[in-house]
Amino acid sequence: MSLFGTSAGFGAGGFGAATTDTHNPMKDVEVTSPPDDSISCLAFSPPAMPGNFLIGGSWANDVRCWEVQDNGQTVPKAQQMHTGPVLDVCWSEDGSKVFTASCDKTAKMWDLNSNQAIQIAQHDAPIRTVHWIKAPNYNCIMTGSWDKTLKFWDTRSPNPMMSLQLPERCYCADVVYPMAVIASAERGLIVYQLENQPSEFRRIDSPLKHQHRCIAIFKDKQNKPAGFALGSIEGRVAIHYINPPNPAKDNFTFKCHRSNGTNTATPQDIYAVNAISFHPVHGTLATVGSDGRFSFWDKDARTKLKTSEQLDQPITACSFNNNGNIFAYASSYDWSKGHEYYNPQKKNYIFLRNATEELKPRNKK
Amino acid sequence: MAEGGEAEWELCKENIQPLKKGRAISALQEALSQQQDGSSSTTNQHKQAFESELRVYEGDDPLDVWNRYVAWTEQTFPQGGKESNLAVLLERAVARFTEDKKYHNDRRYVDIWIKFAQSGSEPLDMYRYMRAQGIGVQQASFYIAWSEEYENQGNVRAADNVFQESFKREAEPREKLLQFHKALQARVARRVMSGMFEDKDEEEAEQPERASLVDLKHRGKKKAVVPINRVGAALSSHSQSLNLHVPQASAGRGQNSRIVVFEELKAASAEPSEPKLESWKAPPPSKSKENELRPEKWSNVKMPMKSRFGHTVVAPQSKPNFLPFVEEVDQPPTMTPCKINPAVNSVLSARKPCMEETPLKRLQQQERPSQSEGKVQEQSMYCKELLLSGAVEFCFEELRAERYRQKMSAKSQGGVEEEPAGLGLPD
Repeated sequence: MSLFGTSAGFGAGGFGAATTDTHNPMKDVEVTSPPDDSISCLAFSPPAMPGNFLIGGSWANDVRCWEVQDNGQTVPKAQQMHTGPVLDVCWSEDGSKVFTASCDKTAKMWDLNSNQAIQIAQHDAPIRTVHWIKAPNYNCIMTGSWDKTLKFWDTRSPNPMMSLQLPERCYCADVVYPMAVIASAERGLIVYQLENQPSEFRRIDSPLKHQHRCIAIFKDKQNKPAGFALGSIEGRVAIHYINPPNPAKDNFTFKCHRSNGTNTATPQDIYAVNAISFHPVHGTLATVGSDGRFSFWDKDARTKLKTSEQLDQPITACSFNNNGNIFAYASSYDWSKGHEYYNPQKKNYIFLRNATEELKPRNKK
Repeated sequence: MAEGGEAEWELCKENIQPLKKGRAISALQEALSQQQDGSSSTTNQHKQAFESELRVYEGDDPLDVWNRYVAWTEQTFPQGGKESNLAVLLERAVARFTEDKKYHNDRRYVDIWIKFAQSGSEPLDMYRYMRAQGIGVQQASFYIAWSEEYENQGNVRAADNVFQESFKREAEPREKLLQFHKALQARVARRVMSGMFEDKDEEEAEQPERASLVDLKHRGKKKAVVPINRVGAALSSHSQSLNLHVPQASAGRGQNSRIVVFEELKAASAEPSEPKLESWKAPPPSKSKENELRPEKWSNVKMPMKSRFGHTVVAPQSKPNFLPFVEEVDQPPTMTPCKINPAVNSVLSARKPCMEETPLKRLQQQERPSQSEGKVQEQSMYCKELLLSGAVEFCFEELRAERYRQKMSAKSQGGVEEEPAGLGLPD
């Protein structure tokens, strides 16, 4: 490490004590040219596309695209800008377009072949979520915003096809056709059905007592959406089935992203769950938290599969690639302690990890 | 004034809650027309702007932001109600500064407390709590509101005592106290005077004249009379405006209130003449409001089920075997337009029973930090105060987005070093 130019290097080299660098304790592959500010979202390309392409949106107003090669090398491919921080990204099902949602109250469609991006949606407040819906009789984009509306857009028209009122600001959403679920402020939770046209299906009383933070739909053995996992700001995830045979038994919550659980002498630190992702093949899930750890879980066996070492920053986003071999997670500041703890100089990272073995379900005894 | 604006106001003026200081007609028209359109996006944006400002404010007068937020909410939601979130907002504003001595006699803070007290079911308890905490004891508005409440409940002796205390404490502005005290004394005197003439009037009444706005006279043997119970603002304004039938009307009132006052005098004399400073550990729990009652059995009366040989007709009448005459109507009856946007489901949302948690109890819990029951202590590792410091919650991204927005607007002003002041929203 050079002693010149980087103050950290100077300090570490000059004073003998080997500073353990905890920015990558899991020794995972670092993505090259990561964004310059906190990464808000990650998305891998769909199966229709050969190879693996990773999209990441950040608070530096940019969206970046990398190609992930089989040997683990990452190659930066392209980049687009918004006029405000990017909060969510998603792919079209054929892999030709990327949709991006931003604090600048717009959503854009990025054609990767031509590398052109055009605006396709507009709200009165920052757009928090964007999802592509592919139905047999229509295709559209669904955007959820802090202006308390959920809008559906045909990308060819400047006006929304449909606009639904939400009870509160949209905080997170997920879509697996024909189901969509929105979690809002003040612990709101609404399920929509998307057949023929989107309509509200059911409002659900929140299974969690604290602010909703992230949500992900899971599928049953027939590959149909069966329920969702909902993460809160206080170290807890709820597994909720839409039509379970026995709701009291089938639905449950579990604690996660907490410190020193059994030691009652010191108070237990509780961290926010920042993102949840389901493995596309095994149906097991990954959660990432403000504590700088990721964990893998088997919801059917109701057991934890693995918890990582602690990174020196919160983990803000995660994603599996389309065949479940790669797990990507981003290490950056999530603003969980306000602006006082923000260090613009601190580097942000995206790591890639081999996910083939660690997410296999635990066999039930 | 635009004609459209007038029509709007006329259509729903019963639903508009009056404000003590009156409503800006422009704000009222705008609020009503927005509700009719169903578009609340501007309102949402304003609200979000206030919520953001509450969290990023770094000046030394945070009460200012809360005060403007309350004023804006009152003007923007004329009907009050759940959508305005006014009750929550008042409660949070009040709770935020209870520990802050410097605001205890700030005119704005005291006014917020008074609004909060009046929105509850036991304002007197709130006023007593305020006095015990020293909130508003130097402000005339506090004593005026308190004595008004006593007067509305018929306890003029206590109402007067409140003024006496205010003079003793040298609350400001003194002229205002004198003015309102004089008005109280005038009302009391008028009632006493009319009470003296009441019996003579009844004897002299020969011809049964039809008189309006007076007590219902009893008929026949039964001496019971339906009382007129004027409450609140109607009381003071009524006695001042109608001078013709006032003696008889307020005589009835006085008749009732005299009974009440009489008991009160007994009770009042038992109290020490100088109200002592009660030591309140916490504000009193207010009784449940009417819409917080849990559903219960309405009555214990059981309707007997008659057998088929019984004679009570329980089934609804069969259809008449003639065609009821339907009058031809030229125009459809005018209906007031439905103000409820069908997309908004929050109007009649199901309310879970609150388990007796009332605003005052919450304040009480804030003073005494809750004890954990021996289980593992938990500590949230995020900026809870920042997220929850407004009337609604914020998430990390909203906080950060607000910072970003401020940074950008500061930059666009040409890099002028400026404190992030108010967001230029109307007061």
